[in-house]
Amino acid sequence: MTITKTLNTDELTIKVAGRLETVTAPKLEEELKNSLQGVKTLIMDFAELEYISSAGLRVLFSAQKIMNRQGSMIVRNANEDVMEVFEVTGSVDVLTIE
Amino acid sequence: MVYLRLALAALCPVVATVCLYLLDRRTSFGGWQEKRKQLLYGLVLGLASVFCSEFGVPAYGVIINVRDAAPLCAGLIFGAPAGVMAGIIGGAERWFAVLWGAGTYTRLACSVSTVLAGLLGAALRKWMFDNKKPAWYYGFAVGLVTEVLHMLMIFFTNMGDVQQAFTFVKGCSVPMILANSVSVMLSLLAVSVMGKEKLHLQKEYKKLSQSFSRWLLFVVLTAFGITSVFIYILQTSFSISDHEALLTLNIEDVKADIEEASDENLLKLTRGVAADIDAAETVDNALLFEIGAQPGNDFSEINVIDENGVIICSTTPEYIGFDMSSGQQSGDFLVLLDGERELVQSYQPLSKDGITYMKYAGVSLAGGGFVQVGYNAERFRQDIDEQVVGATRNRHVGENGYMIISTDNWNIVSDPHDNEGQNLEVTGIWIDTETMQENVRYKSDIYGETCYWMYAATEGYYIVAVEPVREVLLSRDLSVYVTLFMEILVFAALFAVVYFLIKKLVVENIHKINRTLGEITGGNLNVSVNVRTNEEFVSLSDDINSTVMTLKGYIAEAAARIDKELEVAKIIQSSTLPGIFPPYPDRSDFDIFATMDTAKEVGGDFYDFYLLDENRLAFLIADVSGKGITAAMFMMKAKTLIKSYAEKETDVAQILAKTNAALCEGNEAEMFVTCWMGILNFTTHTLTFANAGHNPPLVRRGGGAFEYLSFRPGFVLGELEQIRYRTGEVPLHPGDEIYLYTDGVTEATNSATELYGNERLLKVLNHARGESAEEICRMVKADVDRFVGEAPQFDDITMLHLRFLQKNMITVAPTMESITQVAAFVEETLENFHAPRKVMIKINIAVDEIFSNIVRYSGASKASVECSVQEKEVAIIFSDDGRPYDPTEKPDPNTAASADERDAGGMGIFIVKNFMDSVEYAYHDERNILTLKKRFEEK
Repeated sequence: MTITKTLNTDELTIKVAGRLETVTAPKLEEELKNSLQGVKTLIMDFAELEYISSAGLRVLFSAQKIMNRQGSMIVRNANEDVMEVFEVTGSVDVLTIE
Repeated sequence: MVYLRLALAALCPVVATVCLYLLDRRTSFGGWQEKRKQLLYGLVLGLASVFCSEFGVPAYGVIINVRDAAPLCAGLIFGAPAGVMAGIIGGAERWFAVLWGAGTYTRLACSVSTVLAGLLGAALRKWMFDNKKPAWYYGFAVGLVTEVLHMLMIFFTNMGDVQQAFTFVKGCSVPMILANSVSVMLSLLAVSVMGKEKLHLQKEYKKLSQSFSRWLLFVVLTAFGITSVFIYILQTSFSISDHEALLTLNIEDVKADIEEASDENLLKLTRGVAADIDAAETVDNALLFEIGAQPGNDFSEINVIDENGVIICSTTPEYIGFDMSSGQQSGDFLVLLDGERELVQSYQPLSKDGITYMKYAGVSLAGGGFVQVGYNAERFRQDIDEQVVGATRNRHVGENGYMIISTDNWNIVSDPHDNEGQNLEVTGIWIDTETMQENVRYKSDIYGETCYWMYAATEGYYIVAVEPVREVLLSRDLSVYVTLFMEILVFAALFAVVYFLIKKLVVENIHKINRTLGEITGGNLNVSVNVRTNEEFVSLSDDINSTVMTLKGYIAEAAARIDKELEVAKIIQSSTLPGIFPPYPDRSDFDIFATMDTAKEVGGDFYDFYLLDENRLAFLIADVSGKGITAAMFMMKAKTLIKSYAEKETDVAQILAKTNAALCEGNEAEMFVTCWMGILNFTTHTLTFANAGHNPPLVRRGGGAFEYLSFRPGFVLGELEQIRYRTGEVPLHPGDEIYLYTDGVTEATNSATELYGNERLLKVLNHARGESAEEICRMVKADVDRFVGEAPQFDDITMLHLRFLQKNMITVAPTMESITQVAAFVEETLENFHAPRKVMIKINIAVDEIFSNIVRYSGASKASVECSVQEKEVAIIFSDDGRPYDPTEKPDPNTAASADERDAGGMGIFIVKNFMDSVEYAYHDERNILTLKKRFEEK
């Protein structure tokens, strides 16, 4: 998994490529923990994300919690497989998916 | 008294025999060497013979003994050497017994016949009775023959004195023959009773020889009886007619003597008178008286007859002028006128008065006519009495017969008993010419002895010839005795020869044929009957051989047909067994192989295996009792039943129990099946099994050596209803192997009739480490074949090998690091099976979820993940040794909750449940086993 961060004043775009799963999720979590200071809009670009497991979901949810307090989080470009996970888990109602 | 003593003597050999027999049977003597035993038998019975000889019973002027019985008993009962020895002892003692007073007359005969008795007993036992004791009646017969031989020996050794020999024989033959025969018979009877054995000849050919000997005996006895009677009658009439001829001859002799003597005397006187008359000048009565008065001319009458046959001169003047031709008696003399010179007439009544007895002689005279001179009775007697006495006094009729002569008024003239002058009555003879004919045999007591006699009257005398009846019949009795004895010997010999020949030519050959026939009926058609002693047996042998040959042809034909049918049956049978290997080419987690080599016929072995579902493999091996089509049919039934129950039941014991119940129904053929059945669960790694009387399989677990999976077997299938079976359960992990076989493997037999056995099987199996199931079966079969060699096999050789393979699996220590490893393994596997990308992603997620759970929560030290693809279905099995935990029971998370409220922990398994077609949990052998399945097609 690779993470690419693009900070545009208070809008942070994080691009996740590869698989977001048990082994890789802590890395994203760590990245977010260090980067969300002062960010108003968090854009998760999943265009290159292969799939996501519950470990990845947990990271997203905790990011969502943080962003609920200081702005908003948008999930973008999720592929079919990722969307399926979101749908199954009811995440589509919690996350803002564009 | 005599008979009592004889009976006691006859018991002596019986007692000796019984004692010896008991000694042999009841004491340690029985264990002696045969040679020493024979020596003792011979000695004891020889002494018994001596004893009987010394204590003979005097009767009828001879000594009766039972000497020959003991040697016979020795020979017949105890054996040939004993018989010979006892005979020699008895015979030798008799020979020397003369020195201390035994009779010399029968010395040779007695000695020789006792030795012969021993030899006969020995020979008969050896050649006729097959070295076995004969039956009691044979004992009697042998005793009889021996004594008859003894009697004949007495004759033959005294040929010069047949009469005395005959007296001996006549006196002792019947008691001696009886005593000896009964003695031998009783000995045999006693021994047979004590031995509780049948003293018959060999029982096998009892029938033929017995019926034969019975008929033979019957015919022989009949012939014997008829010839005896015939000889008796013939000899009697011969003797009597001989005797009559003898009497007649003697009488005629004497008669002729008397007549001749008187004729000569008278004729001589008459010639003298004729000469005197011829010399005289004149012939007148005075001359005749003158001539009559001359000394020596003591006749009573002279007549001179002229050429005309008329008496012209006579000393009896009243005869002058008597015409000679007027009477028969006188007329006879007229021949003298016809040229005859002389004539003597017998003593007879005169023609003149018919009362006066006269005897005349006539001589022709030179001057014609003839002179007749006559004797009156007194003168005649006086003239010939002397002659008569001379003619009879020294005459013998036969040996003891004699002649008696009396006058016609019964005054004895000549009698060897010196009763001359007395009346004939003193002799016991009475003659009445009126009623008793001449030359006819009469029987009277003469001088105190019964005699035959005959008389003839001549010249005023009765000539009587007498012969004692005893003497007349002696020759008859002698010939009857000798003939009877010879007949007994001849018939006994005939009997023995015929019996022996029958045994030799018929019974033994029949036995020979029977033995061969027994072999043929026993199944060996390759032997042939070969008795070639005579034509009948040759043709019988040939007939049997050709029948067997024909039979052989038919059998071969039938066998070929049956072979063909069996071949088809064999093909059908083997086609019902799974025969395509590998049976499940897409299963990499086990390797199974099975073979069945039927013996010549269709066998009753079978094996079977089938997947009950993708996780359970049922496999079994079975052996139906018996062979052939019925066994094959039963096998089909059993196989089908097991399979149908296996599909319904999960418990092996239940499968077998139900199969058993079904097989028991209508099992008319009383057949049964032994069966071992197992079900291997690939996910739980357990083998459940049940055994119905089959030999246990061999298992190799954890890379060790093969060992028996011992478990108490249940009863065979198909015999008894209501049998319960127990299910056994053992873990069987990948890498483990199990080998099933029937006893055809371990009981394969080589030419030395050794069994292949468990040891050899274990050795070859343990040697085949790491080989495929097919290779292992092949190796075992090859080893068995090598062991068996050329020896034919009668049992099927069936085996099944199952290897539980290391599956497509990864085993790791459950750590975060190993998750990647596991994921990569699964992904690689799926790629190999060309799983669609979407499926792969879902499975990747599932593996991540489940395995991360194991890492985080199970506390397991080891975990394995197995991945297999079958028929477009992916199965992933997670197995760990952590604490029991069933994730499927975790409640679904609230998917409607806000992000803040979310408990992400329950989310993973929820995703898995949603993404997979099935999620199953099991806990086995202290392992959590979670099985995920996903089909390729998207929902």
